[in-house]
Amino acid sequence: MGSLSDVFKESMVFNSLEEVDLKKIMPLFEKWELNTGDVITTAGDIAQYFFLLESGTLLLSMEEGKSVILETPGDFMAMELLSKKGVYTTTTTALENGNVFAVSREAFLSLIQEDTPGAETIMQAWQEFCSKTAAFAENIVDINVPGLY
Amino acid sequence: MYGIEAINANNGWAISVVGITIVFTGLVVLSFVISQLHKVMDLFENPRKIKGWFIGEQKAAEEGEISESPPFTLTEEQKEITKQFALLARTMEEHFSLPRLLHLSQISGVKNPHSNLNILLKSAIIFPDGEGFFCWDQNLYTKIISQ
Repeated sequence: MGSLSDVFKESMVFNSLEEVDLKKIMPLFEKWELNTGDVITTAGDIAQYFFLLESGTLLLSMEEGKSVILETPGDFMAMELLSKKGVYTTTTTALENGNVFAVSREAFLSLIQEDTPGAETIMQAWQEFCSKTAAFAENIVDINVPGLY
Repeated sequence: MYGIEAINANNGWAISVVGITIVFTGLVVLSFVISQLHKVMDLFENPRKIKGWFIGEQKAAEEGEISESPPFTLTEEQKEITKQFALLARTMEEHFSLPRLLHLSQISGVKNPHSNLNILLKSAIIFPDGEGFFCWDQNLYTKIISQ
């Protein structure tokens, strides 16, 4: 695993995107290096970024003591898993060294609100990813209303 | 030659039995096909179910591989830390909050709580319940600790 394109190929959320959509979305991501114990989002803070996991293990501490472990390359931390109305609802802690690709929340939400096949593909894949990863988080907010995140 | 005599002379009884058997078998097969038709219609309406069969088989194969693989091996130091986590987990409910366990380990002074919690997750001693909480596998813990 070395490049963002490799992570996209592994990602359940992004691996169905066409080449043209990938070229559009890839420049939005920047690589962050994580050390064990690093906290990349804190519940209550303004939500600025969503994250795509390249390597490592992340603990997503959500509301009511619930949590999710993300450890598969390509796992995407966004929307109802992370934030609500522009504020993080989740504290994300690295349980081991690793890397994530951060994407501006605002830029990502603008992208998926476009009336394009790429945006629709991402939203459909996101719903499947949420059902598989954290089905209990699905009902927190209506995932068809990206503005809420 | 007519009547029963003719039937006897030309294997009539045997032919009748074969005929009845063929018709009866045909009707049984037909009724079975009709009774299962709703499943075929269901697959037409939900083609994802076909994919689900293969995924289910794949999962079963993976689970088989997992159960056959040897249990996770811990160093003596990791075993000691795992015992500390076990004590903390005992103070919590059966389905516990993982962030809470991490917090307890931090305030209890457990060494390298993040990476050691990660080891417990990798070893599957701590596993998710699917509802956002986690459980402690006491059998696996005992097995790994006693190695």
